[in-house]
Amino acid sequence: MKNPFKKKNKLYLSDKQPLTPLGVVGLGLTYLVLAIWVIAILWPLAQMIISAFNGKQEQYIMLNDNFEFSMEHFKYLFSETLYLTWVKNTLFISITTAIFTLIMVSFTGFAYSRYRFKGRKASLMAIMLIQTIPTFAGITAYFTMHSIISSIAPWFTRQLMLILIYSGGGIAGNTFILKGYIDSISSELDDAARIDGCSSMQVYRLIIMPIARPMLAIIALWSFIGPFMDYLLPRVLLTNPKSYTLAAGLFTLISDFRTLNQPAFAAGGLLTAVPIVTLFIVLQKQLVSGLASGSVKG
Amino acid sequence: MEKSRIFLYDDIGNSYDRKNKYLLELFTLEEQYKRADAKGKKVIKHQISKLKQNKKKHPYIIALEQFIKDEKNFLLTLNSKKKTYMQNLDSNMPGRLKKIKLNLFDAQEKVDFYKKYVDLSYDAELAYRQNQIIVSQLPDIITLYETTVSELNLAKVEKSKLVRNQVQEQVTTYKTRKREEHKHYIEAKQALQEKKKTGLISEKALRNGIVELKAKRKEINTLNAFEIDSKANKELIRNKKYILSKGIKLQLNVLKSNLADIRRKVPYETEKALPLVSFLTIPFPGLGQVFNKQYFKALLFALATVFIYAIAIPYALGFGNYQGDGISGLISLAQEGRKIDKSLIFMIEGVVAIFLVLISIALYLISFVDVFSTERAKIKGIRPKNWYETASKLEHESFPYLVSAPAFLVTIFIVLVPITTTVLLSFTGMDPKNQSKFGWESISNYKLIALGEGLAGSVFWSILAWTLVWTLVATSMAILTGFILAILANNDRIKGKTFFRVVYILPWAVPAFITIMFFSIMFSPNGALTTILEGVTGLRVQVKNDPLLTRVALIFLQTWLGSSYVFLLSTGVLQAIPGDLYEAAQIDGATAWQKMSRITLPIVLFQTAPLLVGQYTFNFNNFSIIYLFNGGGPFNPSKYGNLAGSSDLLISYIYKLTMENQYQAIGAAITIVISMGLMFFAFLGFKNSKAFKEERL
Repeated sequence: MKNPFKKKNKLYLSDKQPLTPLGVVGLGLTYLVLAIWVIAILWPLAQMIISAFNGKQEQYIMLNDNFEFSMEHFKYLFSETLYLTWVKNTLFISITTAIFTLIMVSFTGFAYSRYRFKGRKASLMAIMLIQTIPTFAGITAYFTMHSIISSIAPWFTRQLMLILIYSGGGIAGNTFILKGYIDSISSELDDAARIDGCSSMQVYRLIIMPIARPMLAIIALWSFIGPFMDYLLPRVLLTNPKSYTLAAGLFTLISDFRTLNQPAFAAGGLLTAVPIVTLFIVLQKQLVSGLASGSVKG
Repeated sequence: MEKSRIFLYDDIGNSYDRKNKYLLELFTLEEQYKRADAKGKKVIKHQISKLKQNKKKHPYIIALEQFIKDEKNFLLTLNSKKKTYMQNLDSNMPGRLKKIKLNLFDAQEKVDFYKKYVDLSYDAELAYRQNQIIVSQLPDIITLYETTVSELNLAKVEKSKLVRNQVQEQVTTYKTRKREEHKHYIEAKQALQEKKKTGLISEKALRNGIVELKAKRKEINTLNAFEIDSKANKELIRNKKYILSKGIKLQLNVLKSNLADIRRKVPYETEKALPLVSFLTIPFPGLGQVFNKQYFKALLFALATVFIYAIAIPYALGFGNYQGDGISGLISLAQEGRKIDKSLIFMIEGVVAIFLVLISIALYLISFVDVFSTERAKIKGIRPKNWYETASKLEHESFPYLVSAPAFLVTIFIVLVPITTTVLLSFTGMDPKNQSKFGWESISNYKLIALGEGLAGSVFWSILAWTLVWTLVATSMAILTGFILAILANNDRIKGKTFFRVVYILPWAVPAFITIMFFSIMFSPNGALTTILEGVTGLRVQVKNDPLLTRVALIFLQTWLGSSYVFLLSTGVLQAIPGDLYEAAQIDGATAWQKMSRITLPIVLFQTAPLLVGQYTFNFNNFSIIYLFNGGGPFNPSKYGNLAGSSDLLISYIYKLTMENQYQAIGAAITIVISMGLMFFAFLGFKNSKAFKEERL
C-alpha cells in the first residue's frame, strides 16, 4: 500500500521562484564573473607566496615552473637585512602614535560633543578644512623643524618627529569621528552622573570613555595601521636605514641595486601582510563602521 | 536699559538699597542731574561738587572710617586671642581638628563684632552672615569629628582585645555556613536545570536564574562574614577612617558652598563708575585680578605674564632663537646674515614667533575680558567670585579649553606652522642655486605655474591633466567594479558568499605598498606578468618603458586595489536594505532592472557618497602607487623635462621638485594651489552635508 505521507522527491520547497532558463544562464555568468575576479585577486598574491618560498628564485623574481620549497629567503631577510629592526621601528612608531592620538582625541571629542563653548563652531569649521590639507603640504618645513628642535633637545629623534606628525595630523579627523559617536550617547547619562556629584573629569572617565570604547578602539586601530601603510613621510624624514619603517625598508629591497633581492622582498611582504590581513578580516565590520560614521556625520 | 545706580543689583537681578549714604546721595543727585533742565543742571552740578569736596566730613563716611579703624583693632586683638586659644587646646588633638576649632572660635568672635555694623556696610553684613553660618554649622562637624575619633579609638582598643580562640571559632562557623550556602545554591541550580530540561523555562531564564542565585549566595556570605569579630572590627575601622578623611571634607565643602551663596546675595558697593583698572592692567595679565582681590586667579594669570615676557616676546624679538631673528627674520630672510645662516630656518622661526605672539594676544584678551567683566559687575553691585566659586566655574566652563589645549598646541606646531611656512615659501625663490639663502619673489612662482613657463612650471598643466584623468578614471573604475561585484555576490542564489567576501577584501587588507611593489616586480622586464603578456600577444611588451601602457597598468592596478574597499562598503549597505522593499516591488510588477535602479542604487549611493568622494581626493593624492610602481616614469625628457616622468601625479611631482631636485619654492606654490582646490571641494561637500545644514556642529 502506498504511504500517503511519503515525501515527494521533487517537491519545490524554496520560497524563491524557480529559475527560468535565462535565469540559469544569468546565474552561471554571475559565477563566472565572480570566479574571474577571485583569480585576479588570488593569482598575484599566490605568486608572492610561492616566490617567497621558492628556493629556485634568484635576485629577480621570474615566472618559472621550477619550485623547490625553501626558507632561504626568510633566512636572508633575517640575517642580511634589517627586517627585525624595521619591524621594531614600525611597531614603536605605530603604538606611540595610537596612544598619543587616543589621549588627545578622547578629550577633544568629549569637549566638542558635550560643551557649548565660545569659538566652538569656528574651530570645528577650521578642523574640517585643516583635515583636507594633505600632510605633505608641510613637508619642507618638517625637516628643518626637526633640526631646530633637536638642537635644543638632542633626544628628539626623527622617529619622534614622525610620531608627532602622524598624531598631530590625525587629531582633526579623529576628533570629528569621535564627536559624532559621543553625540549619539544620550546626554541624560551625563546629567544623572552630574546630579550624583561627578565632576567633568569623572563624567569623562567613568561615563563617556567606557561607552565610547568601541569607537576609541577603531580610532586606535586606524592610527596604529596608518604608519604601517605610509611610505612618503618615512622616506622623507628617515635617512638612516636603521631607523626605517617597514614600508621604507622593504622598498630598498627592490629599488636599490646594492640591496636588491626581490624574493626576500616577497618574504618580508608576506610576513608583514599576514598579521595585518588577519586583523582586517577579523575586524572588518568595526573598521568600516568607523570610517562610515566619521564621514556621514561630517 | 542702564539700571539706576541708586540701587545695587546681584547676579540674578535682585535690587538692594544702598547702605553707603554718601554714595546714595551722590548717585541720587546724578540721577536728578540727568533729568533736570539746563538751569537745574547747573545747581545740581554745584551740589555734586560740593558733596564730593566735603566727602571726608560726610557723617556716613566718618562712621565708615570709624568702623574700619575698629575692625583693624578688633582683628589685632583677635589674633592674639586666637594664639592663646590655640595654646589652651589639648596638645594631643589632631591638627585638623585644631584648625576647625580655631575657625569656630574666630567665627564666634567675629559674629559678635560685626553684628553692630550690619546696618552700616554690606561688607560687615557679609562677614556677619558668613560667620553666622560657620557658627551654626561647624559645631556639628566638630562633633562628627570627635565622635568618629573616639569610636575609632574604641575600635582599635577592641581590636587588641580580640580573643583568638573565639575568632577561630567564628571563622569555622562561617566556613560551615558558607558550605551550607553553597549546598543550597547547588540544589537550587539543579532544580532550575531540571525545569529547563522539562521545558518549563527557557535557556535565558536559566542563565538569569543562576546569576540571581550566585548574587544571593554572595550576599548571604558577606553578611555572615561580619559575624566574625575581627572582620567586623576591621570594617568598622575602615569606615571611621573614611569618614575622617572624605566625610569631613564633604561637610566642609557644603559649608563652603553655603558661604558662597551668601556672597552672591550680599552686594558690593563702590564709587567707581568706569572699569578703568581693567584697561590699565592690560599689559600684565594677573595684575587686574589682584585689584579684584582674586589672588589665586591672579597667580594663574601671572603664569601667562611670565610666558609672554619671558618666552614669547623675547623670541619674537630674536632672543633665544636657534639661528633666526624672530619676526624680523621673516623680512630679512638671513640675506645679510652669516654664511651658515639659512633662510629657511629664519622663516620657520619667524612663523613660530608669529604664533607665539598670537597666543600671547589671546592670553591678554582672556585676562582683560576676565578683569573687565568682574570690574563691571562690581560697579553694578556684584561681588567678585572667590576661589572656591571660580574653581567650580572653571571646572565646568573652562573644561573644554583646558582639555583641548594639548591637541590645540600640537595642531599649531605640527600642522599650522609647517603649512604657513609652505605658504610663505611659495612666495620666495628657493631653488637648487639658492638653497641656503633666498629672498622674497612675490607671486613669480604662481605666474610660472599659471603660464606654464620655466623649468618646473612648463609641465604643470600636462601633469595636472593626467592627474585629473587618473583621478576620475581610476576612482570611477574602482567604484564601478566594487559595486558590481557587491551586487553580484549579494545575489540570494549565490552559494559560498563568505568565501567570495573574504577573497574580495584581500586587496584592501594587504598593505597597499606591498602589493604595489610586487606588481612593480611582476611588470619588470623579466617579471611574471611581462612573460605572460608576451605569451598571449606574442609581442615583447615593456610596460614600464611605455608611457601609455604604464598609465593603463596603473589604472588597472588601482581598480584592483580600490574596488575592494568599495565592495566592502556597498556590501554593508546592501545587507542592511530591508527585504520587504524588494517584495513590495515584486508584487507591483517591477522588473529586475527597475528594482536595481529605483531601490538598490539610490540607497547605496546615498549612504556611501561621502566616502566615495573621499576616494577621489585619496587618488588625487595617491603618491604611493605612482612612486612605488615605476617612480613616476618612464621618463620622457622631450615632453616632461628632466624633473617629471610621464606617469607622475602632481603630488609625486611636488615630491620630486622639493625632495629630489630642491625646487622648494615652486613645489610649495603647487602644493598651495592643489590644497586650495581640495579645500574648496571639501567645503562644498560640507556645506551640502546634512550635519552642517542642521547646525548640529
